[in-house]
Amino acid sequence: MIPPLRRRPNESFYHLAHVPLTGHACQGLACFAARNNAPQRWQQAHARTPPLFCLGKCYQGPAVADEETRPHIEVLSRHAVLLSNVVKGGVRDLAAYEANGGGQALRRALALSRTDVIGEIADSGLRGRGGAGFSAGRKWAAVAASVASRKYVVANADEGDPGTFSDRLLMEDDPFRLIEAMAIAAYAVGAEHGVIYLRKEYPQARAVLETTLWQAGEAGWLGPQVLGSSHRFTLELHIGQGSYVCGEETAMLNAIEGRRAEVRLRPPQITAQGLFGAPTLVNNVETLCAVPWIVMHGARHYAALGTPSSSGTKLLSLNSLFFRPGLYEVEFGMTLRHIVEQVGGGLKRGRLLGVMIGGPLAGLVPPSLLDTPFGYEELQQIGCAVGHGGVIAFADDTSIAELVAEVFRFGALESCGKCTPCHFGSPELARMFREVIGGGRISAERWHALINALADTSLCGHGRGLAEFARAIERHYPQELERCFT
Amino acid sequence: MLHITLDDIRHECAANMTILQVIQAAGRDLPALCNDERLQPAGACRLCMVEVEGAPRAVASCAASVEDGMVIRTDTPALEASRRTNLSLLAAHYPPDAVAREPEHPFHRLLAEYGVTPGGEARDPLFHDDSHPYLGVDMDRCIHCYRCVRICDEVQGQFVWWTWQRGEHTYVAPDGDTLLEGGCVSCGACVDSCPSGALFDKRSIETPDRWTRSTCVYCGVGCQMNVGSHAQRIVQVRPADSPVNRGHLCSKGRYAFEFTHATDRITTPMLRESGEWREVSWDMALDYTATRLREIVACHGQDATGVLGSARASNEENYLAQKFARVVLGTNNVDCCARVCHTPSAKALKTMLGTGAATNSFDDIERAQTFLLCGCNPTENHPIVGARIKQAVRKGAQLIVIDPRRIELADYATFHLPLRPGCNVMLFNAMAATIIEEGLLDSAFAAQRIDGLDAFSNFIRAYAPEAVADACGLSAETIRAAARLYAIAKPSMCFHGLGVTEHVQGTEGVMALINLALLTGNLGKSGSGINPLRGQNNVQGSAQMGCDPNSLTGAQAIPDARASFEAVWQAAIPQSHGLDLLSMMDAATAGRFKALWVFGYDIYLTLADAARTAQALQALELVVIQDMFMNETARAFGHVFLPAASVFEKDGTFMNSDRRVQRIRQAILPIGDSRPDWWIIQQAAQRMGHAQGFSFDGPQAIWDEIRTLWPAGAGLSYARLESESINWPCPSEDHPGTPVLHAERFANGQRATLVCIPSMPSGDQCDADYPLLLTTGRTLYQFNAGTMTYRTPNAVLQPSDTLDMAASDAQRLGLHEGEQVRLTSRYGSAVLPLRITDTVKPGELFTSFHRPDLFVNRVTSPYRDRLVKSPEYKVTAVRVSRLV
Repeated sequence: MIPPLRRRPNESFYHLAHVPLTGHACQGLACFAARNNAPQRWQQAHARTPPLFCLGKCYQGPAVADEETRPHIEVLSRHAVLLSNVVKGGVRDLAAYEANGGGQALRRALALSRTDVIGEIADSGLRGRGGAGFSAGRKWAAVAASVASRKYVVANADEGDPGTFSDRLLMEDDPFRLIEAMAIAAYAVGAEHGVIYLRKEYPQARAVLETTLWQAGEAGWLGPQVLGSSHRFTLELHIGQGSYVCGEETAMLNAIEGRRAEVRLRPPQITAQGLFGAPTLVNNVETLCAVPWIVMHGARHYAALGTPSSSGTKLLSLNSLFFRPGLYEVEFGMTLRHIVEQVGGGLKRGRLLGVMIGGPLAGLVPPSLLDTPFGYEELQQIGCAVGHGGVIAFADDTSIAELVAEVFRFGALESCGKCTPCHFGSPELARMFREVIGGGRISAERWHALINALADTSLCGHGRGLAEFARAIERHYPQELERCFT
Repeated sequence: MLHITLDDIRHECAANMTILQVIQAAGRDLPALCNDERLQPAGACRLCMVEVEGAPRAVASCAASVEDGMVIRTDTPALEASRRTNLSLLAAHYPPDAVAREPEHPFHRLLAEYGVTPGGEARDPLFHDDSHPYLGVDMDRCIHCYRCVRICDEVQGQFVWWTWQRGEHTYVAPDGDTLLEGGCVSCGACVDSCPSGALFDKRSIETPDRWTRSTCVYCGVGCQMNVGSHAQRIVQVRPADSPVNRGHLCSKGRYAFEFTHATDRITTPMLRESGEWREVSWDMALDYTATRLREIVACHGQDATGVLGSARASNEENYLAQKFARVVLGTNNVDCCARVCHTPSAKALKTMLGTGAATNSFDDIERAQTFLLCGCNPTENHPIVGARIKQAVRKGAQLIVIDPRRIELADYATFHLPLRPGCNVMLFNAMAATIIEEGLLDSAFAAQRIDGLDAFSNFIRAYAPEAVADACGLSAETIRAAARLYAIAKPSMCFHGLGVTEHVQGTEGVMALINLALLTGNLGKSGSGINPLRGQNNVQGSAQMGCDPNSLTGAQAIPDARASFEAVWQAAIPQSHGLDLLSMMDAATAGRFKALWVFGYDIYLTLADAARTAQALQALELVVIQDMFMNETARAFGHVFLPAASVFEKDGTFMNSDRRVQRIRQAILPIGDSRPDWWIIQQAAQRMGHAQGFSFDGPQAIWDEIRTLWPAGAGLSYARLESESINWPCPSEDHPGTPVLHAERFANGQRATLVCIPSMPSGDQCDADYPLLLTTGRTLYQFNAGTMTYRTPNAVLQPSDTLDMAASDAQRLGLHEGEQVRLTSRYGSAVLPLRITDTVKPGELFTSFHRPDLFVNRVTSPYRDRLVKSPEYKVTAVRVSRLV
């Protein structure tokens, strides 16, 4: 209970509260990678405050808020688990959604026992697509097992990782799939309330979801009796106010509660005490959108896709430096080289410096490691991550120092400011590399001290992720880094 | 016990501890700047990181629970290096001159230990505030531990400090230009928690060279505190950890101590000669007092004299005061200020349940599911209890507030019942009627513990909410809803204040509350009960020690305990019936009562209907005032002034609201020629031929005599009080104390009887000439007669009493905010500044009575409680007019 009159301080946490997006150019890392395509636009974007990191238009970077073009969309997996409607140009009307088979999964789930639904999800091997890769079935089971009078299902639609736009297109082009998936999840875990936490940077998705939620309510998909069953489910849309760390689920729950989006200490796990202290299931949009297909086709069919440990399909967002930028549904297991050279068709210009997969808080994969297979554990072994499936190619018009400077600039601006190493360490690193770009040299000892403190003592994945990025640079680009030091 | 290995050494520790607590318990020091035992761990500073074998990465020891078999390392090179790096980051903006000025400050020593030099980099933005009288702000020194933000949220519940912005732009500031604008209640918790000196006690210029643990001298909560003194001056007070206040104080306890050294404090005995006060020696003053008392007894009889004990004084001193009255003067005419506050509670509880004190302990606040607050305003008058209730409600407990005014806690309440003043009995009866009618009775409890249910059920039918709601000014449905909540969401804990007791039906109001607890089984259980919030530090003790005409020490009726007391005292206890305070006044006016000795109590200023009090005091031949200041009683009517030592200048014990006896300890020597009350009483007794029985060498010896006479306090030795916080009854040294009364049986039997109480109208009634209804009470920053608080910078925080009025009334009367207005009752008038507020309803007014010069009790009503004569301070018919 926070007294309602004093929202001002907490609002000041969010850089886009009360800021219109119109005319804002994107400063995301994908647009940074492509900055030389439109240097003037980039410089304007870079000079602007508050900064806007990633509009989810990485396929046309450097991007501006109001320019709407559709990316190339293609299904490369054996089954279109996620993009069957999107690839057709989108289904934004309930009748059309149902005509394309929508709603059958929800009806089927409501006819099954809760345990059976959770069993299907668990057996499918579906892992969280938001970055952590945690087993969806185990999460669902934990929330289902929590005894409470109130539970929540929350869709994490804070697709903040620069370089990704898959969730945006899922929501804009196939919004009922998300609602259907959430209704199934809510039924399975015993929740009657749901929230979609959507980032403000996606105004189009907001407009679509608002209409969709209204339609779903009118049609009885939501409300006291979901599709005539005894299951009650209400779903609301919460629009973020601008904060990258809201992608972290506990920070996001704090944001929904009107607090500062700082991460919470665990335990307690949110499956036991989440939103407003109630057991809460949080899955990201892509994870949820796989649910209807799994319920309809069975866990076995889903598990047959991909690899044994990384089952199913994954959406990849390829940035504008690729010859064929766009959104792809692929199966796990193909090599990174295949993604870069076959799916993306190689670079439009220049030589490949490296690919950033899964956002800036992981590594940069050097060309020499492109034969690594695309999978959770495989990428982890080279200090990188599947993350959200964003694939940003950097060409040799970007130097390592410029990239490090940009990542730490982003990291510092998005740090919540709670823990010491990230609060003060990330801006110091950003300043150090600004000096390097300006021709200066920095202390190697201070770099190592700060990266170690970030890696070993950060409170959450934001600071640790920045350190992982730095260590990947140390590991894969030692000579370039050495040149920055005195 | 768990077994762990800490830096290669094996330790045993209890479960439910954090790793940091284990490390500290092992006598090891680990920097943990954002850690405060009063708060939930934040894990922000990252200095207390440790490595745990098998954990994927280092963990913050403040936030991690210890587990059996853990192998913990605190001192690896990597941990030490990270600690140094993080400290260097915290110090980058820290001002070097602060370190130079105070090298011994713990944070500065930590920097030195790690070889970290502060960088002094500029900060922007930076909060400044020089305006608060107590809280100093130097945010240049903020190290972003957020303890101020967290303690203001998690302990005080005030939300003054906020974290603004994020990342490196993060800063801490209130939502307002100053702390006070941001809603600060000046509890000082943020200062107490701040590890760097960004927040400090600005009036504490000298560093204390001695700390003395003691008990707060203000309200009856009984907070424990550490008193810092320097060169025989009190320079700082800090909260101490105790089950009562858990390391928290309010603005009065924490800051309002400077009265001790006020320039107008009287530290020399004085006699009034030809209308003028003259300083004299103790011998002269005491000889004069003894002689005059003897003369008056000789001339008018023993019962023409009387003594008033003091809620300010210790148990030992109050014990001696009543012993003096009974043994030396030979009269039972002894009373104290409990008469005007909670004697109705004591009477009601004693009559119905057998013990005249709170049934439960403050420890139960966190165990209650529902709170019923009646006629009390804890966030202002019992702020630590108020803060604890607020936190409990924030964590899910339900709250019912019954109060005519929209007090702060009403904002947190499930139901606020703003009843018309004077309708308590009617409302409580309506709640009882709901409980009976709707079948919410606790039948099992009723079967085993209650008598009189049938008669009560018949009687209460007439009080159905629909029948009385209009008269109460409430809706019947709200009354029913509140009754249901209280009866169903158990355990339900009731706290009440003077809004219940200071009425013509004060005692009966408390009885009606006890009926509710009996019907719902909310007695004898943790988290339940009927709990009067005592207004003053030792008002419970003062009466309990025997400053009551009808009972001896331990609230033992004179006929029952006479023999044992006479045996110990080796003196006869007078047979005549004693006069209470109000009866003494009446007898004085009638010419039957001639001499009064008053300890630490300004009766002229504080008794209702001051004109009547003046008439009585005027008639006395001898008024002996024992006080620290020339109070209004002394100024107008005193003959002898005996300068008393303050609470900081003596040893002894106080008894708080939840039946704990707690030590006060001498921090400085008595100032000037002032003396502790116990010394003064003994000197007078010796001069009146009673050296025997009044030759104790100190408070502990007095207390030991009390323990022999008060069976329920026998186990409360000074030795135990050093380390334990015990609720009486505690009949022996090996008894653990009794936090919850009436668990298996009531103190007066297995069963309690429901009492049928017809509701009666208040004494004073509005009419065309006096159309408005005035209630009086206290405020956060001032205390009672203002004797202490107005001699501190609290006078800046609240400069004046105000007359609180609803906007519609002000508009109708053509009055404006801040304007001086005349408040007139049938009994007198006062002039007060007007405050327009939505906390009072139209037709009702509120004011406090803290400022002697405004003298609000010239206005208040002469009506008294039907059973124990407490004045009806809460209902006076008045009119308000513009000054012409």
